[in-house]
Amino acid sequence: MFNRGLSLDQAPPISVVLRFFLSVPIFGVLFSFLLIVYPTDILIPNHPTSLSAIHLFFLGIISMSMIGSLFQMQSVLGGKPIPSPLGNSLIIHTFFSVGLIALASAFLFHLLAAFVIAAVLLGSSLIYLVQLILPLLFGGVTHDTLRGMRLALLSLLLTAVFGAVMASSFANESFGTLHEAVRTAHYSLALAGWIGALIIAVAFQVVEMFYVTTAYGNWYKRNVFRTIALSLILKIVWLFLALPYIWVFDLFLAAVLLGFVVTTVIRLRARKRRVSDVSIGFWYAGMGLLFVSLISHIVYLYTASALCETTALLSFGLFSLSIILGMMAKIVPFLVWFHLSSQGYLQTPIMSNIIPAKQNKRLFVLFAISSLLALISFLTPILLSLSGIGFFAMFALLAYNLIAAVRLYRHTQTTSPRMSMDFSSQS
Amino acid sequence: MILEFMRDDHRVCDHLYTDAENALAAKNTDEAKRLFGEFYRATNRHFDMEERELFVTFEKRTGMVGGPTQMMRYEHEQLRAQLEAMQEALNDDKYDDFFGIGESMMIMLQQHNMKEEQMLYPMIDSALEGDAQLMIQTLKEMA
Repeated sequence: MFNRGLSLDQAPPISVVLRFFLSVPIFGVLFSFLLIVYPTDILIPNHPTSLSAIHLFFLGIISMSMIGSLFQMQSVLGGKPIPSPLGNSLIIHTFFSVGLIALASAFLFHLLAAFVIAAVLLGSSLIYLVQLILPLLFGGVTHDTLRGMRLALLSLLLTAVFGAVMASSFANESFGTLHEAVRTAHYSLALAGWIGALIIAVAFQVVEMFYVTTAYGNWYKRNVFRTIALSLILKIVWLFLALPYIWVFDLFLAAVLLGFVVTTVIRLRARKRRVSDVSIGFWYAGMGLLFVSLISHIVYLYTASALCETTALLSFGLFSLSIILGMMAKIVPFLVWFHLSSQGYLQTPIMSNIIPAKQNKRLFVLFAISSLLALISFLTPILLSLSGIGFFAMFALLAYNLIAAVRLYRHTQTTSPRMSMDFSSQS
Repeated sequence: MILEFMRDDHRVCDHLYTDAENALAAKNTDEAKRLFGEFYRATNRHFDMEERELFVTFEKRTGMVGGPTQMMRYEHEQLRAQLEAMQEALNDDKYDDFFGIGESMMIMLQQHNMKEEQMLYPMIDSALEGDAQLMIQTLKEMA
């Protein structure tokens, strides 16, 4: 079961993707620690501790996983592999991780100089990532997933720019009249443009093909990214010109995302592939959480309730985490199997022996309990601490699963007989 | 168009595999073996259609030899090896192995299909221009 390296040549070395994935539980544990120790502060919007936790979550867990996945997906969905993946991923990962630690510390410990470090490192790593991948998405055959990836990367670029502007404001403790507009543009682009568009773009491929469902409708596929892009552009223009009725654009965004929830759930329920798989549970949980997020946000638009605002952000974050954990449960064992078998090892373990199904089920149970506790933590902050303990256990288990997969990969490389090959292996 | 014709054939294969997997999950082993046999034949026939007709014609028209079509041929080689391993697991009644290999086969097959549907088939359609219908007829006759 081997090839002569061509298929492997297109895929990046396994260390490229695992570098990002292995960092996820580290930032996950740091995030959980904040939930356990500072539950009251985290529930206050715009509190420095809350901002520290939010960035650890959306950058250290969600974006870290998404960037790692982009390195893997690019050759499949984008058609052209990322050049020099080892060197480029090392640069991006190092700058991104150090920048994130600087940002989280800056908020948490009021370290003004750290905001400058964060702006430079995070900004440069994300801009470098976008300029590396975005040109690869043009010049070939265009399809809906590619359009979604373009939108996601452009949104990430603008998110980074607005983020760097805000970091410099925090560093100088000088907030201009446009600070609130910049802040809203920053998180709108991050949530709907970067995270939302990329998950939808990938779902168009993954849901239909991996679970054998009917395809998403052409009308929806054609219009969803246009609607998200147009809504975001107009929202940002409205923000900076301080025009009225800005909530209309949030309603458009909520409508297309609700459409995504409904069409995805319909497809998953009618899926042809019925074999039990924990990733389905993560998809259903993700869709439920996105639904809660959108409804909470719509209610917030009319009531300005802080509870609804917090619930909307919390459940959106948990939605993205759910999808990512479900995908990781499949991708990591596949990558280990794929790279070993492509390198010609004869005793390559099968996927179900790399991360056993029961480990993934435990991960799902911990995710479900921790998420539920977080969502009802408005009753008492102690519930958020308990949720933090649950997330701590979940990320520890995730780390265990990932490290076990890496150890098995190394063990197979050192112990398994190998077919003689005419290409040099990559790892 | 080639894209639609071949994409539909991908879906037929997916459904056949799913039927086999569902039957085995329901412990209906004889039915699972029969359905897997259908999937095995349909998938190999699909690869044959590509390797013997579609890719050859595309390479002649464009002069692109050793590019994406060669990549797809190597992936076919990997997938065929997996199909053999699954067939062996099924014959030996090693059902856990069947599901385990099937999971990686399915991900690999779908990644392969994505590359073909999003990149290669549109390129073939563009290279064949008005002859696409004739090619589809040839491919149908191979079935």
